[in-house]
Parts: sequence; C-alpha cells; structure tokens
Amino acid sequence: MNIKEYISSGVVEGYVLGLLTAQERFEFEQYCEAYPELKEARTAFELALEKQAMENSIIPHAELRQKIASKIFDENKAAPVIPIQTTTPGKFNWARLVAAACIVLLAGSIWWNMNLKNENDKLKENNVAMQNDLKNSQDSIAQIMAMANHIQKEGMKMVGLNGTANSPRSFATVYWDTASHDVYLLVNNLPKPASDEQYQLWALLKTNNQLQTIDLGMLQLSQKPLQVYKMTNAREAQAFAITLEKKDGNPDPNLQKIYVMSNL
Amino acid sequence: MLNEQSSDAFNYLYDNYSGAIYTIINQIVPDKDTASDVMQEVFVNIWRKVNTYDAAKGRLFTWMLNIARNASIDKVRSKGYRDNQKNQPMTENESSGMAMSTNPMVNDVGLKKVLTKLNEEHRKLIDLSYFQGFTHEEIAKLMGIPLGTVKTRIRTAIIQLRKMIG
Repeated sequence: MNIKEYISSGVVEGYVLGLLTAQERFEFEQYCEAYPELKEARTAFELALEKQAMENSIIPHAELRQKIASKIFDENKAAPVIPIQTTTPGKFNWARLVAAACIVLLAGSIWWNMNLKNENDKLKENNVAMQNDLKNSQDSIAQIMAMANHIQKEGMKMVGLNGTANSPRSFATVYWDTASHDVYLLVNNLPKPASDEQYQLWALLKTNNQLQTIDLGMLQLSQKPLQVYKMTNAREAQAFAITLEKKDGNPDPNLQKIYVMSNL
Repeated sequence: MLNEQSSDAFNYLYDNYSGAIYTIINQIVPDKDTASDVMQEVFVNIWRKVNTYDAAKGRLFTWMLNIARNASIDKVRSKGYRDNQKNQPMTENESSGMAMSTNPMVNDVGLKKVLTKLNEEHRKLIDLSYFQGFTHEEIAKLMGIPLGTVKTRIRTAIIQLRKMIG
C-alpha cells in the first residue's frame, strides 16, 4: 500500500469527522498502528479542526452550566426535610388541625413526587445505558464483520501456524494478502508471556539451504479474542513463525523459542 | 456530595470545550431550546462515558465533538422533534434545503464558516453528510447521482475542506 496516497485521499479527515463506514474506520485504525506517519496526519488534522472549532465559538448561556453541573453532581441529593408544625395540646383548634393536615399531605405528596421522579430518572438512565450497550455491541459486530469480509478477499492466503514442542496446543493464523503484501494475524491460542517477554512474528525464507528471517513486528501485549491485528508487510515468505523474545523484540529470532510455525 | 476532584475535572471540560460543543449542536439543531436540551444530554453523557475514551483512536476533543454531532443528528431525526417542527411556521431557510439555525451567528463560526468558502456542490455534500448525517446511499438517492460518484465527490469535498482549515 502507498501510505502517502492513502493519507492524501481524504480518509484521514473522513475518519476524524466520523464520515467513514465501519469497514473503512476499522482499516484506518489498523493502518494507524502500523504507520506512524498516518497517526501524525490524523493528529495534525484533529488539531486544525479543534482550533477552527474553538475560534469564535458561541458561548452557551451561563445558566446552562448550572443546569448541567447540577444534573451531574446533585443526582443523589436527599429529599429536603419539610418542617411540620405540631398543634399545642389543650384547646381544640380546627383551623390548626386542617392546616397541619394540609402540610402533612403536601409533604407526603412532595415526597411521593420525588420518589416517582427519581424512579423515572433511573429508568431513563438505564435506558440510555442499554442503548449505549446495544450500540457498542453493534459496533463490535460491524468491526468483526468488516474484518471477516476483509480476510475473505480474493488473493488472501490463509496460513495455519501449528504449535511446536514448546507449546503443542498453541495455534495462530496468518492472513497474507498476496496482492498488497499486507499481513494480518489472528492468535487462536498462545500462552500468556511473562511481563518482560513478548511474542514476535517472522517470515521465513529458505534459499540454497540458507534460512532467512524477516521481522514482521511484535504482537500486542494484550490480544483481544477474535481480533485480527495488522502486522508489517511481507513481500516474500515461505512460512511464518512466532517466537518468544524479550520485550520489544530482537533483530533475529531465538529459534529455540519458536511457539508456532507453518510448514516450510 | 460534590467531590472536589471531579468538580475540577468538570470545570476543565466545560471551560475548554463547552463553546465548541455548543456551536456544533446549534449548527445541527436549528431550534434553540432543543439545542440547549441536547447540550445538557451531551455533557452528562460525556461525563458518564469519559472512561471509555480511547486516546489511541484520537484526541479528546474529536471524541467529544463526535458525541455531540451524533446526539444532535439523532435529535433532529427523532419523531418527537419532527412532529414538533411540523407545527412551527415555515421559515424561509427551510425552502433552501439547508439546515439553517434560527441564530444567524451559527453559520459564521467553526466548521460552517469554512463551508462558505467551498463551491455550491461541495458545500451541499458536506452539509448533507456531516451536518445532517445522511449516508452515502441516502445522498445518492436524494441527489439522483450514482453511489460511486457520491463517494468520490465527498472525498474531493473533504480534501477541499482540509485545505481551507489549513
């Protein structure tokens, strides 16, 4: 992929403004991890947009701030205590009794109203939370679907990496786009590395009985399940392998510590 | 109840971003009272969801701006809002097909101000997609042009916009 062309295609601005489809957004985020210059272009546009948005913006009315602050901070405020006058014993005073009854009724009604309002607010809040959850789930599904479509693209080669004697139950899958040379990795099963270790992906090439290894990048420390990660491009490869290296990797693989590998 | 630390955080967010957020809401929601309601919803939402903000995906402001834009578009498209607008007298702006605010100032600031420098077609495309939230498919139907053309023209419009923002 030509990253310069990609940057100037309008995709950076589309991403920041929220105008991309789920698939385009997903690809953009993957590329951002692989290409620092893409991330720089994104930040530059974000800053320009921010500056533009801040200039001569409309200042909201002061009471709006008050309203918002009280919505955020006063949600759990207790119901105010309403003083109730007590009648003095002795002389029976109808007016006082009626007044007292009214106050009791009023207090009761206010209390009841506040309860209803609190309940209503809670329901509304739950509703918003549920809608957010739904939206998050839909986004996740869209992302997974987008990736599924992507790895089923024509020319995409799927390579299974089987566990070695180091870890017989491990398995990983590499998707290699033979046209663009993009490499994607799905970790199906790898043991959790120690905190000072990290997995590294390699392309392997054998020419005249000479084994050549090409660094395809580090695996992220915490891999999300079902998530496919974009790695460094590989122009040539006969096989792929993952080794356990020190944190941030090594220029050459530790061949004693191959965890998974495809057939060479 | 009012925790000092969270009060500081609120003041920071509000002092820095309320103007820009309020502007974008007013640029999408033409009715001023409704725009104030959306502003309240948006800030409460930002406050509640701020722990889900992921710095790897962009700046805080971008995240907030998108929340405000989405909430505003949702509001304008909601049944309650549309029903309410039907009872309002038509304003001259509506006939032009552009979402205009009752507050003339909102077209002279922020992103809308940049739009005025674009040509008619590009301005319309950005308005429909960014300010009114139409998908490419909907725009293709609306304008009677093929989907592929919509996509390329929006990309061109965005690139023009980028040059204006500098």
